[in-house]
Amino acid sequence: MDFPILSSLVWLPVASAAIVVGLPRRRPELVIPVAFGLSLITLGLAGFLVVDFTAGDPGFQFVERTSISADLGIDYHLGVDGISLFMVALTAFLLPLSILASTSVEHRSKELMASLFLLEGALIGVFLALDLALFFVFFEVLLVPMYFIIGLWGGERRLEAALKFFLYTALGSAFLLAGIVFLSAQANDQLGNITFNYLDMLDVELSRTAQFWLFGAFGIAFAIKVPLFPFHTWLPDAHTEAPTAGSVILAGVLLKMGTYGFVRFNLNLFPEATVELAGFMAALAVVGILYGAAVAIVQPDLKRLVAYSSVSHLGFVVLGIFALTSQGLEGGVLQMVNHGLTTGALFLLVGMIYERRHTRRIADYGGLQKVMPWFAGFFLLTAFASIGLPGLNGFVGEFLILLGSYSRHPILAVLAAFGVVLAAVYLLWAYERVFTGEPDREENQNLRDIGLREVGILVPITALIIFLGVYPKPALERIEPAVERVLERIEQRTDFESPLRLDDIAEEIR
Amino acid sequence: MTDISYLAIGPVIALTVGVVAILLIAVSYKTDERVLGGIAAASLLAAFVLGVLQWVEASDNPTTRFNGMVALDPFAAFGAVALAVVGVVALLVAWPLAVAQGKRIAEFLALILLALAGLILMAASAHFIMLFLSLEVASISLYVLAGFSRQDADGNEAALKYFLLGSFASAVFLYGVALSYAATGTLSITGTAEFLESNVLLESGALMAGIGLLIVGLAFKVSAAPFHMWAPDVYQGAASGISGFMTAGAKIAGFAALARIAVTSFNPYIDDWAPAVAVLAALSIVVGTLLALAQSDIKRMLAYSSIAHAGFILTGLVAGIDGVPFIWFYSVTYAFQVLGAFAVVSVVGGPAGTRSALSDYAGLAQRAPVLAGSLALLMLSLGGIPLTAGFTGKLFVFREAVDAGYLWLVLVAVIASVAGLFFYLRVIVLMYMHPQAETALEPVAGDSIRIALTFVAVVTLAFGIVPGPLIDVVTSALPI
Repeated sequence: MDFPILSSLVWLPVASAAIVVGLPRRRPELVIPVAFGLSLITLGLAGFLVVDFTAGDPGFQFVERTSISADLGIDYHLGVDGISLFMVALTAFLLPLSILASTSVEHRSKELMASLFLLEGALIGVFLALDLALFFVFFEVLLVPMYFIIGLWGGERRLEAALKFFLYTALGSAFLLAGIVFLSAQANDQLGNITFNYLDMLDVELSRTAQFWLFGAFGIAFAIKVPLFPFHTWLPDAHTEAPTAGSVILAGVLLKMGTYGFVRFNLNLFPEATVELAGFMAALAVVGILYGAAVAIVQPDLKRLVAYSSVSHLGFVVLGIFALTSQGLEGGVLQMVNHGLTTGALFLLVGMIYERRHTRRIADYGGLQKVMPWFAGFFLLTAFASIGLPGLNGFVGEFLILLGSYSRHPILAVLAAFGVVLAAVYLLWAYERVFTGEPDREENQNLRDIGLREVGILVPITALIIFLGVYPKPALERIEPAVERVLERIEQRTDFESPLRLDDIAEEIR
Repeated sequence: MTDISYLAIGPVIALTVGVVAILLIAVSYKTDERVLGGIAAASLLAAFVLGVLQWVEASDNPTTRFNGMVALDPFAAFGAVALAVVGVVALLVAWPLAVAQGKRIAEFLALILLALAGLILMAASAHFIMLFLSLEVASISLYVLAGFSRQDADGNEAALKYFLLGSFASAVFLYGVALSYAATGTLSITGTAEFLESNVLLESGALMAGIGLLIVGLAFKVSAAPFHMWAPDVYQGAASGISGFMTAGAKIAGFAALARIAVTSFNPYIDDWAPAVAVLAALSIVVGTLLALAQSDIKRMLAYSSIAHAGFILTGLVAGIDGVPFIWFYSVTYAFQVLGAFAVVSVVGGPAGTRSALSDYAGLAQRAPVLAGSLALLMLSLGGIPLTAGFTGKLFVFREAVDAGYLWLVLVAVIASVAGLFFYLRVIVLMYMHPQAETALEPVAGDSIRIALTFVAVVTLAFGIVPGPLIDVVTSALPI
């Protein structure tokens, strides 16, 4: 048997959590270095996975499958394809950075590291699980460490934010659970055996009504996670109150469980409902883009501003997905990674000045460019990436999404393009108020510029932002086959024809 | 009498011998309390072993013995084994309370064993009269246990309330037995099924009323809404050390009895009783959850949560025989969780304490990390978070209910379980995220409680992560 790389990716973080908890209490200085080292091992494995992944293969790779209980039809079934590959890599990449960003946490830092590791393991599990019961287990269980991260190490209103986050997302999960159970019952009727396996579910023929109900049940769970307008109200509180590491993982990876879920489950399992509801979902996405951006403009709090920008950016991802074109879908999947990097970086940057000044209010700053030039430089570059400036990663994703959705929903695509303009407004205006001018407040005049540790955090993430902006091909060639297969499936199952397929055009030219 | 099988009542004999031995030794000699505890533990162990032997004997050849009075089938054997283990854990949890009884410890231990004997026989009864007798043996022992602290006004109130409402429920149950007999002419649980399968009733009114009253009687015992009114007062009023056992034992045996008569005797009429059970389930879940939200005392909260859990278990019953394995799974794992939760309450509020305000738990994680950790795990499990047995149980009963066509019930149940998370999480928030009161005492758990909590935590996690082995067992634990 081959080396079980996927299992290692799920369980190594869990083991790391156990190791960190087992560190002697008298040596608190060991916690961060050990945790960082352990997270690098997982990252190394994830890097190996990306390199070893066969580009051009649309199916699942490195599959591991053992039956947990034959009576119940639950398998321990993991596999990775082009859609989940970069989500796994992103999770493993952001974790070491989050750990480095937590050095200022002195209160129970062991427990924070353990929670982060458990969160990482569960997140990777969500992206790799190919059994619906297993998927739900990971999906739900990661709420617990996240809840503790917000509730124990968060800001002033952390208790309220943690509870709101937990209950809101648990409500979504309740619908998801009902949907999974119902789907499994349907599979039982048709296939004659009890199963929760994703690959079996693909063969289940669902009536149109059943598809609509299931699309709704799964859709609510994922829409809350994304969060899609109007299910976004938990997000600003949770992001703002969470500690930096929590916000990075929350915005960087956790939200993507929603968009990933849409692609993996809604599009594949309920194609008929997907085609009929695509316009509606795309419209909600555009409302989210414009609403999120508009609210972000008026935020007086820097962290809340970044939080609302996530609502806007995730709207692009959903728009791309429900454009149901290969460019849109590909752009959506790529943008999931891009948003994880840029928003992760923005939260890390906001965390850095918060550690210095203990305020997140934009009005408390001004003229930081003069005292912290390096910091200002990193911030500006990240802001440009977030806006979607060509040459940086955000551009590639947003361009593909807008291109892909224009051929299906031209008006929505035009409206969404205004979101890019608004992004420039809220980010550059925030930059102007925080960094430009004279540092006229006394507290701001003697701020340290970023140190070695902070450079260590920012350089890798910035390097990836630039790399994916200049040369996205390695990512795209891994994503594309899987995305094409999703569209083929939808076309087989319905009378839908995706406009503007790249292969068709190539065929005609030949 | 020719149809005698001592194995069929083996666990009951073992427990009864234990009761007699404890009472005789306590009046004859001045003995150490450990000797009495040892005897109780030995008789529980014997009951466990005999239960396993029953399983071995009955798994190929399920029969009824004593002329159709007692079943010797995997269902009964599993009930005996599960209740014996629950008994051991309950004994560990109640041990500080037992020691605090001084001279009355013998009676206290004897009552626990006697209650267990009755509960085990409930799961093994193949005859309505046998079922009624064992129900009374168990109930009367539990009434006395509820009011065991004679000086305590809350305890007395609890016992009296439990007794009055419980006897009323027993009377209702007995009336149900009578009506069922009137309709079918037999008191045998399997005989009723045979009669109903081979005969068509022209007038089914008496039978319907009988089924209804039987379900109501047992719904009282398992505290399903709207027959739940006694539960919060009784579980709060009884000493913390014993409330857990009262909840756990009554749930396992009550659901065993309910499942046996529903899916054996009245299986031909499943389309008539299943909708009624579904309504009971939905009501219990909603009422239990909503009222638990408003509680400021952890014992009352656990009591209302037990009402909601009764509803979740009833959700499995609507699927008939297919749901039985998961009723077992859910009720047994729930029994351990509730025992563990009351164990923590008995340490924080004192073993004989009757009230236990939620505010006492503020900052518990710093004062007693082990207790807080166990309680947090149990709260997550009761709330149905994955990787705990509480989630696995819910997943299974929900799936059976959907298979049986009760999607609406499952929707009610999943939404209520989210609302339920609110009060389970509140306990965790209090323990981990609130500063402790300055005057807070440092609760110390004795060895017996530590062992019980460790066992409960292991069971909760093990069956949450690897439910397979237990599922394999319960899928064979079916009534004849």
